Amino acid sequence: MKFLVSRFNPDADARPYMQAFEVQVQRGMMLRDALLEIKRLDESFAFRHSCGEGVCGSDGVNVNGTNKLACITPVSELKEPVEIRPFPGRPIIRDLVVDMTQFYQQYKAVKPWLVRNDPMPEQEILQSPKDRDRLDGLYECIMCGCCSTACPSFWWNPEKFHGPQALLAAWRFLADTRDQATDERLDALEGPYKLFRCHTIMNCVEVCPKGLNPTQAIGHIKNLMLKNAV
Amino acid sequence: MSRKASGLKAWALQRLTAVYVGLFSLYLLLVLLFAAPDGYAAWRAWLGGPLVSVAMLLFVLAVLLHAWIGVRDVLIDYVHPIAIRAALLGAIGLALVALGLWAAQALILVRLA
Ligand code: SF4
Ligand code: SF4
Ligand code: FES
Repeated sequence: MKFLVSRFNPDADARPYMQAFEVQVQRGMMLRDALLEIKRLDESFAFRHSCGEGVCGSDGVNVNGTNKLACITPVSELKEPVEIRPFPGRPIIRDLVVDMTQFYQQYKAVKPWLVRNDPMPEQEILQSPKDRDRLDGLYECIMCGCCSTACPSFWWNPEKFHGPQALLAAWRFLADTRDQATDERLDALEGPYKLFRCHTIMNCVEVCPKGLNPTQAIGHIKNLMLKNAV
Repeated sequence: MSRKASGLKAWALQRLTAVYVGLFSLYLLLVLLFAAPDGYAAWRAWLGGPLVSVAMLLFVLAVLLHAWIGVRDVLIDYVHPIAIRAALLGAIGLALVALGLWAAQALILVRLA
């Protein structure tokens, strides 16, 4: 099977270029296996990966124009030649390895932890099963970055727009009945950039390997804001 | 527009104006299809009616507001040098205000006639 892989060595190359590799594919082979095969052919080739089962979120790449996790993408589903590029819009460190600093900064900016004003109870903070259900579809995010780096609004304003991943996380804590910082969280999201750069383009929904829906979460935040304002 | 109001308020206004523009456009279309005034004088009389002229003025305002928010969004997305963005925003804002004033005076003239 033919693969075209984006290569970039900051010390030697002025810009990224595509290099062709021929990989012997086997039944059930995932794209990560193909990348490992390519690394055997050329050990200077760099890409991130770890768990190999869609859990760690480290091997997001752009495959034939779509962001995917290499380890859970069967090569049999891909059109030849398979073009593999780093996440769009991120500074390239080397080959498929990109700098995700801004992505993590945006995550940190939404305070992704429970905020309590009441004194902490002796044991756990109880929650009804129904309230717990509100977190389904929110807590499963593995922070792979497929969504945010597919979002045009994040491409144009990555230093100011939180992006779908961080906004999904913001809603995850707004929706949590144990959290007590709703007003502060909503106030922090005001202004034209952090939340309202989202134009409901829905690229994020399309690419999320966990089937999550950041667009819907963003809609929930906007509606809650509106409800609290009137 | 204050900094605090520029997110939620702009977004809500965009939706609100969209609804009004949509509904009024539908009404205009129906009028054109089924009850189109016959001739210039009839058009003037129709547009000069108290309800229609106020609704039309609101419509023009809604279109201009909607356009302003949309253009502002595009500029915030794509035009990052602050001086160029401010100049473009200023020029487009002025043009929109001029359009609004022109439409308002036309409606007032029709109303007075
Ligand atoms: S929302 Fe989905 S695509 Fe985005 S970071 Fe989380 S798991 Fe990845
Ligand atoms: S819906 Fe919003 S967050 Fe998702 S890709 Fe579109 S602009 Fe980005
Ligand atoms: S290697 Fe962990 S998600 Fe793919």
